[in-house]
Amino acid sequence: MKKSIKIFVFAASLFSLTSCEKFLDVNDNPNGPTEQYLILSARLPGALISTVNQETVQINQLAAFWAGYWGTTSEATNQFYKEKTYNGVAIRGTRDGIQIWEGTFNTLLYYQLIKEQAQKESAPFYSGIAKIMQGWHFLHLVDIYNNVPFDEALNRTQYLQPKYEDGRIVYEKSVQLITEGINEIKAAGVDQNPGKADIIFGGDKQLWAKFGNTLKLRALIRQSEANNEAYIKAEINKINQEGSGFLGLGQNVATKPGYINSKGKMNPFWETNYRGVNASAINHVSLRPTEYIISTYSALKDPRLSSLYTSIGGTFKGVLFGNPVVDAQYAANKTSAFKGPNENNGKATGLFKSFDQASILMGAFESLFLQAEAANRGWISGSDQTFYEQGIAESFKYMEVDAGLFDAYNDQTTVKLSSVAGDQRLKRIIEQKWLALNSISSLEAWSDYRRLGIPNIPNSLLAPTPTARPLRLMYPESERQTNAAEAGKQGNDEVTVGKIWWNK
Amino acid sequence: MNKKATLIIFLLMISTGLLAQVRKITGKVIDQKTGVTLPGATVIRKSTNEIVSTDGAGKYSIDAATGDLLIYSYTGYVTVEHKVTADKNIINAYLEDSVNQLSEVMVTGALGIKRQARELGTSATLISNEVLNQGKVVNPLQGLASKVAGLRINMNDATTGKTDQLVQIRLRGSRSFNDAKNNPIYVVDGVPVPDIGRLNPNDIENITVLKGANAAALYGSEGVNGALMITTKKGTRGRGLVSFSNTTTFSDVYLLPPAQKQFGQGQNGVYSPTEYESWGPAFDGSIRDLGLKLPNGLQPTALYAAPSKDNRLDMFQTGRTLQNDLSFSGGDEKSTYYFSVQNVNIKGVIPGDKSSRTGARFNGSRTFGKLNTSYNVNYIAASRNTTPDGPWYSTYVQPANLDLNTLKNWRDPNSAANPLNYYTDATAAKNPFFLMDNNRNTSNQQTVNGKIELDYEFTPWFSAIYRIGLYSTSEESRATTNKLAAPSGNRNVNGSVNDGSNDFRRVNSDLILNFKKDFGKFTTRLLVGQNIRMDDSKMISIGSPNLLFPDLFNPGSRAGELEGAATITKYRALGTYGEFTAGYNNYLFLTLTGRNDIVSVLSKENRSYFYPGVSTSFVFTEGINALKDSKVLSFGKIFASYNRTGNVTLDPYSLNNAYSQINGFPFGGLVGFTPSLTSPNRDIKPEFVTSYEVGTQLGFFQDRLNLEAAYVYSDSDGQIFDAPISSATGYNSTIVNAGRLTNKIIELTLSGDVIRKDDFRWNIGFNFTHINNKVKTIFGGQEEFRMFRQAYAVVGQTYPLLKVSDYLRDEQGRVIVDAKGNTTTVADSAPLGTMVPPYQMGLSTMINFKGISIGAQFDARLGGWLYSEVVPRMYTAGTHPATAAYNREPFIFPNSVINTGTAAQPVYVENTSVFSKGDKAFWDGQGKVQRNTAAKSDFFKLRELNISYALPKALLAKQKVIREASFGLVGTNLFIVRHKSNTYGDPESLYNQTDGYLSFRQIPPTRMFGFNLNVTF
Repeated sequence: MKKSIKIFVFAASLFSLTSCEKFLDVNDNPNGPTEQYLILSARLPGALISTVNQETVQINQLAAFWAGYWGTTSEATNQFYKEKTYNGVAIRGTRDGIQIWEGTFNTLLYYQLIKEQAQKESAPFYSGIAKIMQGWHFLHLVDIYNNVPFDEALNRTQYLQPKYEDGRIVYEKSVQLITEGINEIKAAGVDQNPGKADIIFGGDKQLWAKFGNTLKLRALIRQSEANNEAYIKAEINKINQEGSGFLGLGQNVATKPGYINSKGKMNPFWETNYRGVNASAINHVSLRPTEYIISTYSALKDPRLSSLYTSIGGTFKGVLFGNPVVDAQYAANKTSAFKGPNENNGKATGLFKSFDQASILMGAFESLFLQAEAANRGWISGSDQTFYEQGIAESFKYMEVDAGLFDAYNDQTTVKLSSVAGDQRLKRIIEQKWLALNSISSLEAWSDYRRLGIPNIPNSLLAPTPTARPLRLMYPESERQTNAAEAGKQGNDEVTVGKIWWNK
Repeated sequence: MNKKATLIIFLLMISTGLLAQVRKITGKVIDQKTGVTLPGATVIRKSTNEIVSTDGAGKYSIDAATGDLLIYSYTGYVTVEHKVTADKNIINAYLEDSVNQLSEVMVTGALGIKRQARELGTSATLISNEVLNQGKVVNPLQGLASKVAGLRINMNDATTGKTDQLVQIRLRGSRSFNDAKNNPIYVVDGVPVPDIGRLNPNDIENITVLKGANAAALYGSEGVNGALMITTKKGTRGRGLVSFSNTTTFSDVYLLPPAQKQFGQGQNGVYSPTEYESWGPAFDGSIRDLGLKLPNGLQPTALYAAPSKDNRLDMFQTGRTLQNDLSFSGGDEKSTYYFSVQNVNIKGVIPGDKSSRTGARFNGSRTFGKLNTSYNVNYIAASRNTTPDGPWYSTYVQPANLDLNTLKNWRDPNSAANPLNYYTDATAAKNPFFLMDNNRNTSNQQTVNGKIELDYEFTPWFSAIYRIGLYSTSEESRATTNKLAAPSGNRNVNGSVNDGSNDFRRVNSDLILNFKKDFGKFTTRLLVGQNIRMDDSKMISIGSPNLLFPDLFNPGSRAGELEGAATITKYRALGTYGEFTAGYNNYLFLTLTGRNDIVSVLSKENRSYFYPGVSTSFVFTEGINALKDSKVLSFGKIFASYNRTGNVTLDPYSLNNAYSQINGFPFGGLVGFTPSLTSPNRDIKPEFVTSYEVGTQLGFFQDRLNLEAAYVYSDSDGQIFDAPISSATGYNSTIVNAGRLTNKIIELTLSGDVIRKDDFRWNIGFNFTHINNKVKTIFGGQEEFRMFRQAYAVVGQTYPLLKVSDYLRDEQGRVIVDAKGNTTTVADSAPLGTMVPPYQMGLSTMINFKGISIGAQFDARLGGWLYSEVVPRMYTAGTHPATAAYNREPFIFPNSVINTGTAAQPVYVENTSVFSKGDKAFWDGQGKVQRNTAAKSDFFKLRELNISYALPKALLAKQKVIREASFGLVGTNLFIVRHKSNTYGDPESLYNQTDGYLSFRQIPPTRMFGFNLNVTF
């Protein structure tokens, strides 16, 4: 017995001396790869899908309410209450709020890390994409929160509480970032093409340049009312000098990463708003088009109407956004739902085509309407009417309307751009743009409304006052808790009071 | 046994009756616990007062006659008597050490080594089996609540723990900002284990609570939060014992957040049969339609009237807990054994919830000459079948008149309770009974915990201990949701299953060399040891969110992709430690400790760290001649200690940012990795807690009144925690090595026998703790950090600090309303106060009168704040009483002001004219003002009451089967007084490892009452 103990003691001490290092070297993560394992092509799709998901679901949903597209059935009177009441405090909440700020900056980080890695590896195509997409997100942040961090953002080691910058400055810097992105992509060599990892354009430089230019045009159009003509002119000149032009017919900024009919793996807009694997989505049960959008399409005898919504005994019936009363006429079974293949003999409809439909980041129709407005304002050459008609035609195409119906539609005096003059032309461009962006790029429609007040969207019946409109979001609770001093310096950020800098 | 006893009695009667012959009786006097013989013990023959002492081997020899009474005594041990019988000439006496005398108390120190309490330079509290089990708890940690100064217990209601509550335990407050890393180390019979929640409390002989890093210095990092040294029962030498006990308790929910009973379902004051929110008209006693027509064409209706009772209670049932415990023990000179089996069977307060636990323990010891061996094996099989959260938070948002009893027959396709026909299709307000039945979480967990200990005495001054322990849990879990096909997305329920397997294994080995040598009046002891720790875990889950068939829960029968993940973690640590104790004349002691740890979770440059400690104690009643033999002060000791303990609270693999695939990736061949949003930090170093402690322990009137007081200061610096940061950095949080938190703690324990007679003893105990902690610095010069939801760390303030949004107020604190009568919410308002009660008090009383004993434990905690997340939901749903306070009419907001000046130069005057709307939009907004849902968490409660009656020995003497029998009544939480602002719940029943935070998921707390029966054969 004595011997055995001695052996044990000896063995134990031996163990501690010889194998100590090996014994302790067990801290390599066996559960997930760290940066050094991951080439850029394994990371870019993750970042792009993050952008796509936030845009088509989270941002699009909030803006669809505030752009006059969506309301709820009477059964869902109590749902989307914070959106209906413009309750900024509830929306900014970490717990039950809408975390656009957090989600956007997280995605910006994904691009930041890709950009840094790409710069180390001399992979200009990747860094160019990262810059354009960062520009996209910063512009969105300003459109929603006005002043936001830019220079000090995304640098955790140096700036834990990043300084905010003026929304106008962030806009300028974002446009500059996109310009740099376009140049880097164009400078990339053939062997530096991301190919399939670029799930948007498959490595097409020309399309990236066009997308970048269109994004810049969107940013410039946004400041049409902000007395910034000199800057706009200079930037338009840069775009012209660059020479790739804007996205045209058929050139959607979209992705189809390979969705399959499985939870969490299908097109997120489809899954959230139309159907899961087995049954309709909760949103499909509760959400309805507003009476206003139905009446607008109807007044124009718009063929898109029947491609978008189901009819109730041949007529289309919408709801009132923010209706506080449980009114039986707006019950789910008495109002037009969003139409999908299930209600259309299995065929694609205006918004819902299939579980693996492409996610739309920016439709060609939006680019065409942006060009129509720019032409109308004399910023770019070309005819506003041509762009306008191409925009409508492109929207018809997306919304599965027979191209043969275009001429009759366009010939109506209520539609034809040439039948009106002056201010009315712009109003008509924006109205048609609104009809085309419906439920697809709703943030753009809400921004147009904030900028121009077009179209004449009825206010939420639960608005705090009849004239109070949502103008922005409040800085999120998380920011108030972690960067309070900076967030506190930015003035009144109440939803119906604080304005975005371009909103005069 | 019975026959034998009868025979002995028979022989005894014959022999005493016949003759009283004097003969030699020999034997040994032996320590009951250790089996060590006791030299110098006294043996007295009562009839003649003849006295002999045991020799160096503990042996004695005395003349005695049959029928004589022999009295065996030894300092520090309880005296026993044996009657000389005709059949035996050898009588061995086993003495149990007495813990009544302060000067003799033995505690279990670090590494499981027994030591005299007098030599400890730190606080230690011993909790006996009886005190621990007063409330007949299932989880031994619960039995510690309010019984130890400086120790705080909270119930943690995890989402799947409703029959098996988690317990949060804190010794001397929090040292780490990382909430989950403030748990003490649990040491069972010398072996550190990760959890003792499933240990059979009846198996526990006692628990020594070593309160701070100072006491547990040898445990190093893990001891930084104190240690619970659990000693399980050993066999009793000399006699075999069989004990059986049964405890049956019943529990009911109480302290539900109040609900209004004036208004029913609808919106905007208009009734709606399909609406669940209570914004409809006032109850009027009419019969109204409820929901849509049923498949059989009938229109369900309901009485639209205020209910006479709280209908929400019908969601719950009376829970029942059955505990049956059987143990055998015995032993001889060389070996002991203890064997126990326990079965706990719990029926939860939510219908269908149940859990059970069966545990068996075998503890044994055997001496082979100089080698002492002991071994324990504990096997526990625990199973659980509960519903996840959902039923309760679905219930408290539904109308007050909803009769829950009509909702149980949901399986009937023509019932209004059927989920396809339920009156509302809202996903937030489903039939709670359907949810209970349809969503189940089950788990089967098996725990094996064992140790082998070898203690070899090489020479009288040198011994070596080797101890190896294994703690292994293996859990199989399954979460299921049964498929319910419906065309509407709101009513459709996808079938899902998630199968999990969670294995954890810890191997802990200690080699301890123990040297001791006395030099005249000086005693010295040196411990040198090495500890090896290996933790391994593996978690696997697979499942499908989309099963094809009802009642068939296999991921194979699915549509879409299989979901799954596997996580492996490894942790390794190597510790080397030493402790040197010197004593002078058994009244002055000095102890030096040092330990070096090397841990696997840090980088190579930072992973090895050393930390020292020193402590001293002085028994002045023995050291100072003038105080010796004082009639008043029978024992007095002062002690002090200082140490600095390194600690690494980092989880494995936290130094680098691991990427993962989310958002549906991979899509076939297309991969997409995104980083974790917690910014990693490769340079994390150990954090250090510096603490000192001074205290005294006094016994008055022969220890009839005992007082213990301690002052503790601790300073934790360079803390490792995951700090939320501005998302504008891209990350949502970052791991930092910063932050400094100090604690100043006063602990006071008083215990005294008010009455101390042979058959009547009344003891009162009181303990008091005041914790004053302060955040000194945070990170990068920042002033404050949000730790979790509304809990903050703010420089210069107590931690955690509750900060909530509040109304915009004028200088006098009056609420400012605008022209529409609306209030404005300010996000970053003034702090309310600490979320941990700084004052904790426990009051216990124990009365023993003949066979009757009455024990009660009271608990008070004062000075803290809590925050409820139930309430905002009830505001939104219109079920909260505040929403009906003004009859849903416009009203003037109490104590409000309006601005009669300009925005730039406001003039606030009392509001007598501007009405607030008092509609849903208004009240919904009020619910978002967090100040409305914060409350003071002060409470005073009767935590435990135990009344028991033991059958008199005289009665039992008439038969030989039962040695002892007792019957008792137990109750917990029998009454509670809360601060008036707290209508939300029990302030100690908190959400998952949080302080002062009540989640909307939590079910109400429970109170319990029942009875128990103990029989010893």
